[in-house]
Amino acid sequence: MKTRIFGNYWRFAAIITNLAFVLLCAPLDVAAQDTLPVPDGLSEPRGLIAEPGPITRATLFADRHLGKGDLNNGFYVDFGKMIPGAGWLSAGPGYRKWFGRDTMLLDGSAAYSWNGYKTVQARAVLPKFAKSRLALGTQVRWMDYGDVDYFGVGPDTLEGARTQFAIQATHIAAHATLRPTRWFDIDAQIGLLSPSLKDSPLNRTMPSADQPTFVPSELSMTIDTRNYREHPTSGLLLRGAASHYEDRDTGAFTHQRYEGELAGFIPMAGERVVLAVHGWLVTTPRDNDTSVPFYMLPSLGGSNSLRSFADYRFHDRNMVVANAELRIAMMTHVDLAMFTDAGNVAARIHDLDLEKRSYGAGLRFHTRRQTFARIDVAQGNEGWRFLFRLTDPFALSRLERRAAVVPFVP
Amino acid sequence: MRVATIVLAAAMFGASCAGVGRPQVQNAPRPPGASMWVEPTDLATRDLYNGPWGAENAPDPKDVYDLVELKHSGVNLGMTVKDSKGREWSVKQPFPGNLDSEAPVEVTISRLLSAIGYHQPPVYFLPAFTLKDDFGRHVERGGRFRLKMDGMKETDSWDWAANPFVRSKEYQGLIVLLTMFNSTDLKNTNNSLYERKDGDLLEHWYLSRDVGSALGDTHRMAPRKNHIDSFEQLPFILGVTNGFVDFAYKGWYTNLVRERITPEDVAWACTLLGQLSDQQLQDAFRAAHFEPEIATRFIAKLREKIQQGRSLTLAAARD
Repeated sequence: MKTRIFGNYWRFAAIITNLAFVLLCAPLDVAAQDTLPVPDGLSEPRGLIAEPGPITRATLFADRHLGKGDLNNGFYVDFGKMIPGAGWLSAGPGYRKWFGRDTMLLDGSAAYSWNGYKTVQARAVLPKFAKSRLALGTQVRWMDYGDVDYFGVGPDTLEGARTQFAIQATHIAAHATLRPTRWFDIDAQIGLLSPSLKDSPLNRTMPSADQPTFVPSELSMTIDTRNYREHPTSGLLLRGAASHYEDRDTGAFTHQRYEGELAGFIPMAGERVVLAVHGWLVTTPRDNDTSVPFYMLPSLGGSNSLRSFADYRFHDRNMVVANAELRIAMMTHVDLAMFTDAGNVAARIHDLDLEKRSYGAGLRFHTRRQTFARIDVAQGNEGWRFLFRLTDPFALSRLERRAAVVPFVP
Repeated sequence: MRVATIVLAAAMFGASCAGVGRPQVQNAPRPPGASMWVEPTDLATRDLYNGPWGAENAPDPKDVYDLVELKHSGVNLGMTVKDSKGREWSVKQPFPGNLDSEAPVEVTISRLLSAIGYHQPPVYFLPAFTLKDDFGRHVERGGRFRLKMDGMKETDSWDWAANPFVRSKEYQGLIVLLTMFNSTDLKNTNNSLYERKDGDLLEHWYLSRDVGSALGDTHRMAPRKNHIDSFEQLPFILGVTNGFVDFAYKGWYTNLVRERITPEDVAWACTLLGQLSDQQLQDAFRAAHFEPEIATRFIAKLREKIQQGRSLTLAAARD
């Protein structure tokens, strides 16, 4: 089995490397990132609607109190970073400290959400080995999510079949990231994941709440030329990942997962209009004797994937989603967004299609580099949905997580 | 649960935004060599473009600066860099988008304060600079460059409520000036105590250092900074009650100015600042790369405030 797993990794690595080579040879402006042009953002776009004072003040507040990411030492508020299903607001205390002129970061935080989800995490990162080309780190994360929606497996499940499960998990992970350039990294990680299902309507129908302990490992490669991660207005993201989840108890749930993801942000009319496109394919190949726990199956639906559908609306072994969003600046810090989402799940990868669709419009409230609030109204096969979130739909927070989360988060 | 989440979030944000309670001010013993202000004897000839530390201590805009570390405190972005001469600089940068940048305000106000005798560290402004980090060179957004000098180091902060200068004219005058500039971040940690060695002489400088949160309005929720429209709209003085000046200042730190400042304090500070020529005031804004039209509007409003402050004592004398 090990030979096959490593074989899969090498095949995957070769595909990604070839893809990266093709991209580097293409006439993209990624190479120019090493000699940045004149620093941007020093002038405001002209011809916009005058912005009401409260929006500008909210933007100022977001810039100064939410916009510094991991930079500040000391106590901080861990704010709005939980998974879909947690509700629109989550918050909790955190403390971080940089040491030795940015050579080590220690960070710990806890958060509690609107829907009662809880997380606690601690991590250590050493980002400056080999002139910042190599970063090493470790993280431990405890998660307790109650009332996660589940509708069954397959693309044809009914909305009325909604039930809920509750899950608790602890994940310890270690990772190494090789970064040859500012915009390209190769990441490897390995860990120990011990999930357990708690008392809930769905769990009571299952034969046992005991879940296996997994050893998850992942190899990924990312090309990322986005100008800002939480409010990108230009650039490209290309990511491929291969994961192996080893069931340490019985082997019955050992499985692999492969992901390919592409996002592009095309500025037009001097960034007054931005076209964002995104595609994501996830597959867990079917093996003869193993299965995938339902909470680790790829899932689809919710505020970052199919916006007119409920969170985690569809589950199956394979998932594909494509999004396109046109953002038009109305005010300096408010964009009107029109979007369409399409995707589906399937038991076999060649059965995937884009049958489930959402259309909609919304508003994006943002600083130059962060969407701090958004309102979306989406319509699709299962009706209308209104969303208020404190994150950008294309922030792709999974790129920032070191410890994998269960359930699978679309 | 939901209420608890909101209360938790609100409490944590509230704690990060809180101002100060009304301090019971008291004089602390004045150590030898301690000063906050030195009477300027050459005010009319002072160079407000290069400032008190001169062009010889300014950062070279053509130099390549090595990244030492990123800034890990405060609400502004920034970093520590080292120039080709081995000098270390603390750089305060604007956020991308340049919304209400504090960096130029800090340089201009530092120029004004130092010109009329208040101690200030060496600060300069570069709109952009070349940064060299582990991945190579690139052009970086500029900002306020503060030099870390040999023989001069920050040893502590000082407290508005307890320091050797409480109720002295320079202390009262400093509060008047910061109020005139609509400074909104008057927390104690922005007051720095510097130890400066000049030969055998050891001086202790009490200075108001991170003064960039100003030249806008004094709203408690996300006050505007570096915003001429807001600065022009907010009045300076509302009147005099029981011998104390009522300011229009509405920020978190109103306790510093309420029922504490007399018309004489205001007149002292305004007379001092009013001695600067228009050219000197223009130079103070030019040093921070303000657009000339914006600088002219700021100066006009400052002149208006200076005039209002001076007229207080005249009115009191007439009464």
